[in-house]
Amino acid sequence: MSHHTTCTPAEHALHRRTFLGGLLASGAAASLALPGVSLAGELPAADALKQQNKRALFIWLAGGASQFEMWDPKPGRDTGGPFRTVQTTIPGYHVCELMPKLAARMNKLAVVRSLNTKISEHFQAAELISTGWPKEPALEHPEIGVILAKELALQESLLPDYVSLFTTTEGRRRPETGFLSRRHGALLLEDSLQPKNIDLPAGLTSEQHAARESLRSALSSQFAEQRAGSDLVQGYNAAYSRVRGLMQSDRLFNLDQEPADARDRYGKTPFGQHCLLARRLLEAGVPMVKVARGFWDSHHDNFESHRELVPDFDNVLSVLLDDLDERGLLDSTLVFVLSEFGRTPKINQDVGRDHYADAWSFAAAGCGIRGGAVYGKTDEDGVKVVEGEANAGDVAATIFKAVGIDPNKHYQVGQRPVPLAKEDSQPIEAILS
Amino acid sequence: MTAFDPKQATLQHTAETPLLFASCYDATTGKYYGAGIDAAIYSLNTRADKPVAQKRWKHHDNYISGLGWQSGTVISSGYDRRVVWTQAESGEQLRELTAHDGWIRDLVLLPGDQQFATVADDMLVKLWDAETGEWIKSFDGHEHKSPEGFATAIYAIAASPDSKLLASGDRIGQVCIWDVDSGKLLTRLQAPEFYTYDRRTRDRSIGGIRSLIFLPDGRLAIGGLGPVSNVDGFVGPSRFELWDWQAGKMLLRCQDKHHAILDHLQFLPEQNLMIGGGGGDAGPFLGLWDITAQPADGVVAPIHKAKPKSHIHHLVFDPAGPRLLAVGHGGFQLWDFSGKDPAQEEKKE
Repeated sequence: MSHHTTCTPAEHALHRRTFLGGLLASGAAASLALPGVSLAGELPAADALKQQNKRALFIWLAGGASQFEMWDPKPGRDTGGPFRTVQTTIPGYHVCELMPKLAARMNKLAVVRSLNTKISEHFQAAELISTGWPKEPALEHPEIGVILAKELALQESLLPDYVSLFTTTEGRRRPETGFLSRRHGALLLEDSLQPKNIDLPAGLTSEQHAARESLRSALSSQFAEQRAGSDLVQGYNAAYSRVRGLMQSDRLFNLDQEPADARDRYGKTPFGQHCLLARRLLEAGVPMVKVARGFWDSHHDNFESHRELVPDFDNVLSVLLDDLDERGLLDSTLVFVLSEFGRTPKINQDVGRDHYADAWSFAAAGCGIRGGAVYGKTDEDGVKVVEGEANAGDVAATIFKAVGIDPNKHYQVGQRPVPLAKEDSQPIEAILS
Repeated sequence: MTAFDPKQATLQHTAETPLLFASCYDATTGKYYGAGIDAAIYSLNTRADKPVAQKRWKHHDNYISGLGWQSGTVISSGYDRRVVWTQAESGEQLRELTAHDGWIRDLVLLPGDQQFATVADDMLVKLWDAETGEWIKSFDGHEHKSPEGFATAIYAIAASPDSKLLASGDRIGQVCIWDVDSGKLLTRLQAPEFYTYDRRTRDRSIGGIRSLIFLPDGRLAIGGLGPVSNVDGFVGPSRFELWDWQAGKMLLRCQDKHHAILDHLQFLPEQNLMIGGGGGDAGPFLGLWDITAQPADGVVAPIHKAKPKSHIHHLVFDPAGPRLLAVGHGGFQLWDFSGKDPAQEEKKE
């Protein structure tokens, strides 16, 4: 009989509802995920929230990072593992010794140690935590990042509303637009950190390209005048506009534009370079960026894995928070760190930890977050939440509220008003400023 | 030693403890010592009928990774960076020292029991006087970072039968051969297939050289896990390689498709038999290889595979049995070569 403590390859393949190509590949930007949804081609409204230039960075630790080796260590317990702890700047709060730099910056971070999201299978758990909703047969909910992009995007921006970076093959999770228009989908940077096909075709000058665009714009305006309210035309215009913006901002994606010391500071690891690019994008005005760092699924050799992964995470997130702060961006940029779930208290026979959703942690910093807040508690072995239990809906509601979005705001999907965060969810006020 | 048939290797008895990583054996009394995750030392009287593990003492405060038996004294090393000498009979701590700046991963007594060597996450090999605890010398030659810039580790240490050489193996698939007297690095072997990393398809390294043993003829066996095919963990063939270390040449590859890492190797010269224990995605594993085999494809398959109760982390061969004594997840495992199923034998009784 096969033993197989690891996940099957299919569990790490792309979800069946793979994203259909992001903004550029979507082409018909006004297409719908569900018939009857009244949000087709809806343009971002230039409301007060958007004018505050708030941004968000979603750091996705794909596979399930261990709360024991990060935010909720249990030294000296059978479940604790071999790592020791380090005192943070918050009296009485210790984190794993693998995170000394974040420990010194804990006044910038808030940690929730009491997530109980119940689902410990990769796909379902990822869908739950990244949307805040359990799976529904008749409705596909958008990822939190998609909603943030839609709500925070400026109408006149020529930059993408959402950029998702993940250049490895496993554990990838593309942002799902769900019932929202695909125009809110992310620009996917998966093969390289440079968007594809944004150079002018050979033989076409910038002037020729501008002239073509003027003609296209004039024709589409005439068309729209004759068919008032055409979502389709609006969608096409928006897509063309964003492509033009991308073509003009290729330098933004080029990390060679960064000084060498900035690149060194973030480190030469892919995660470091991705977060540096994320900072460039956020600073330039992209309202939503997602950086995914995979390979946290440590069924075997958990401590060796986290010994490799966590110091990189510690360094990169610390540098990123400092960098955003130094540039005056941290107060307006929400940074949140999530996984599908945490890892088991029990250390298995291969010195690994398996999937565990009953008691795990997430962290956030920046916009709307009360730095230094440590919320919730698990028991002495990290098996159960004993204080401040929170679920995936609560996480989503907290994220929305942190950037000033009302979690109870509704989208109208056909006949059904759908709130941004699940009806029974509550923002975790203790970590909000 | 009584002749035995390796294909009759059978698990006869288990004794439960927390996960054990290291073991040593007192052949005089038949007491087998194990230690691991709870920092305590356990013993098992292997000459008793259905022995039960006894928790004996706890002088460390983190995982114990290495044990050595030196005429009545157990020398232990751990992730607390310490080496501790304990009088086995009484459990009295005789001596301790902070030996490294980092987790100690392995310990080996050199033949003759006068010296022992340790390896640790400070990426040093250190040689010690087993009687006095005096530091003798350090050997510094392993890379301190992986090629990708991450932390690495020296997982395994072995001594040659004449005590003149040490071999140390690390996470990134390098083995250093050291001259004990001069302290010089004689050569560095590259065994890259024990280390899997790919920036796109596997952006987290795994593997490393987990077991080393010098054969009496001077060849060196290097054990661990072949190339990993899955993102999660030990999902690659269990493998060891025989090397002519002086020529820097791999002579023979011995492996099985069973996905498991070989955490320990034991060689029986009279039988030309290599025994490897470990575990992984396909479950716990015990393989026995005839290293005189000359397969056409150059890859030697085990002559016998057995399924242990759980992942084996360390093992000792007791020629008096002949028996195999093993430790790992779940505690102690006692194997013999009778081929008799203990459950059936119990029914007969």
